[in-house]
Amino acid sequence: MRYRRRASPLHAARAVAGGAWCAALAAAALAAEHPIVLLGLALIVLAGAGGAGVAREVGRVALWMVPWALAIAVINMVVVRQGFTILARLGEIPPFGQVDLTLEALVYGSLFGLRLLTVAAAFAVFTVAVDPDDLLRVLRRASVRSALAATLATRLVPVLAADAQRIEEARRCRADQGGEGAAARLAVLRAVAGGAMDRALDVAATLEVRGYGSAKRGVRSGRPWSRHDQAFLASAVAIVALTLAARLVPLASFDPYPEITGAGVGEALALTAAFALCALLPFAGRRGIAP
Amino acid sequence: MAAIAVALLASALAGCGLGAGPQASDTELLVSKDFGAQPIVQTDQPKTGGSDTVMRLLQRNAPKVTTRFGGGFVQSIDGVSGGTSGGRPVDWFFYVNGIQADKGATSIKVHQGDRVWWDHHDWGVTDDVPAVVGSFPEPFVHGIDGRRLPTRVECVEPQSDACQAVADKLADLGQVAARGGVGNSFVVDTLRILVGPWKALRGESTAKLLEKGPGTSGVFAKPAADGRSITLLDQDGRATRTLGAGTGLIAATKVKDAKDQVSDPVWIVTGTDDAGVLAATAALDEGALNGHFAVAISGGRPIGLPDRGQ
Repeated sequence: MRYRRRASPLHAARAVAGGAWCAALAAAALAAEHPIVLLGLALIVLAGAGGAGVAREVGRVALWMVPWALAIAVINMVVVRQGFTILARLGEIPPFGQVDLTLEALVYGSLFGLRLLTVAAAFAVFTVAVDPDDLLRVLRRASVRSALAATLATRLVPVLAADAQRIEEARRCRADQGGEGAAARLAVLRAVAGGAMDRALDVAATLEVRGYGSAKRGVRSGRPWSRHDQAFLASAVAIVALTLAARLVPLASFDPYPEITGAGVGEALALTAAFALCALLPFAGRRGIAP
Repeated sequence: MAAIAVALLASALAGCGLGAGPQASDTELLVSKDFGAQPIVQTDQPKTGGSDTVMRLLQRNAPKVTTRFGGGFVQSIDGVSGGTSGGRPVDWFFYVNGIQADKGATSIKVHQGDRVWWDHHDWGVTDDVPAVVGSFPEPFVHGIDGRRLPTRVECVEPQSDACQAVADKLADLGQVAARGGVGNSFVVDTLRILVGPWKALRGESTAKLLEKGPGTSGVFAKPAADGRSITLLDQDGRATRTLGAGTGLIAATKVKDAKDQVSDPVWIVTGTDDAGVLAATAALDEGALNGHFAVAISGGRPIGLPDRGQ
């Protein structure tokens, strides 16, 4: 899973705007309390991924997160003693004492899992739809060396992945197919790790020869803000404002402990619709999205 | 080995099942501040649910309960929170049937007839008040952890009026107590009430903790070694007044044995003299003891401890 420029409004937006949009959605998911709002935000992130043409990659991440979310829900139910609605009693289990499984703990754990899934999906969108080079150019203005280190790291990962693929193919070309199972995979991993050291030394030598040690801070690109830049940045600001407003008013509040209480479905749906409007409107503009 | 495994499994499965399970009846809840001086919630008909824990009982009946550490500890009730107050450490403590719990409130099940008492107080002097008298007639009627325990009245003079009066009061509660002399043995699974003048009781291994002060006994009163006076202490452990002849004291505490095992609560009904012991015996009822950690009796009037100097 890596960034590839595609014909989508999110890919067309500059990295700062696209990154802010993803981060705003993640922040909204972290702050959301109501299950309807949280579920809505998860769907908004997936819809955004669809709008950016990266639904498959992000969907894969979301699917990978589902078992983790379920595990969190179950662990929370077993560990937490709060909640009035007892689903099952497990009796005295030393050293925990009386263990009761409650509906409230299950709901809280499920919400926590859903929140984690949504945040992971938002950052998956960030990974595949926000240009890392553009982002690092921005970071270079703040810290040259940090930006350089981050750039090298992001560049080396796909290079090492390609190395691994080549070594794996070479292994299978051997008459004995290079062994099987974990031992064969370990041999490939060892070769890739050794190669990474060699590559790192080469990169360091090259950087020294080219005088990167005395590099200066980057300058502004001077590129004018496109409609997509403005749209995604405005969307991010609106999402953050909505999140803050929902916390301060409060809107669509929800408290699972000790008894499930929360705002009505209408209020939660209205807030979800507002989030959807703010987040997905930038995808409506399709002009100038070609790579 | 197999028998042990079966016994463990059976005991573990004993509390198992789907749904909330049976509901405890006849419970009482008291939520107070400053060692019982200011009640916040006091009800003898609290809302209960099946398999309620001490925490659930509190959350069902007290206003605005906030918790910390994953819901295991109470941070505040009705805006009264733990932490520091005026530079002194304060927190919420709870007692079930007058006994300080050794587990969290979410781990203790409420049983039929239990009296649950949450109190917010200064613990600068001691954070360990192992037993209180303010839930009388508990723990004598419903016992500890849903198990009724035998009671033994241990008197300096088993034939004395005071000893008889204490036994009669327990009998009125439906509790037939064994009577005998004051023993120094470490008695397991038995509630003990020591009755007699302080001078005669002070040698008993649990009673003698009182002379060491609240930091050791959890009782905010110190009888003099000669038994002629009892000094009342405030919540800071400072002496507020010293009461002489005719003063009684009802307190409860626990003691650790050589293996660090904590005894069941021991109640002490004592006085500076026979008149003081009789005064304490007379005060051994719900009306005089309710909501007090310990009680001194002076001029026939109960004084809740720690002393507030009123």
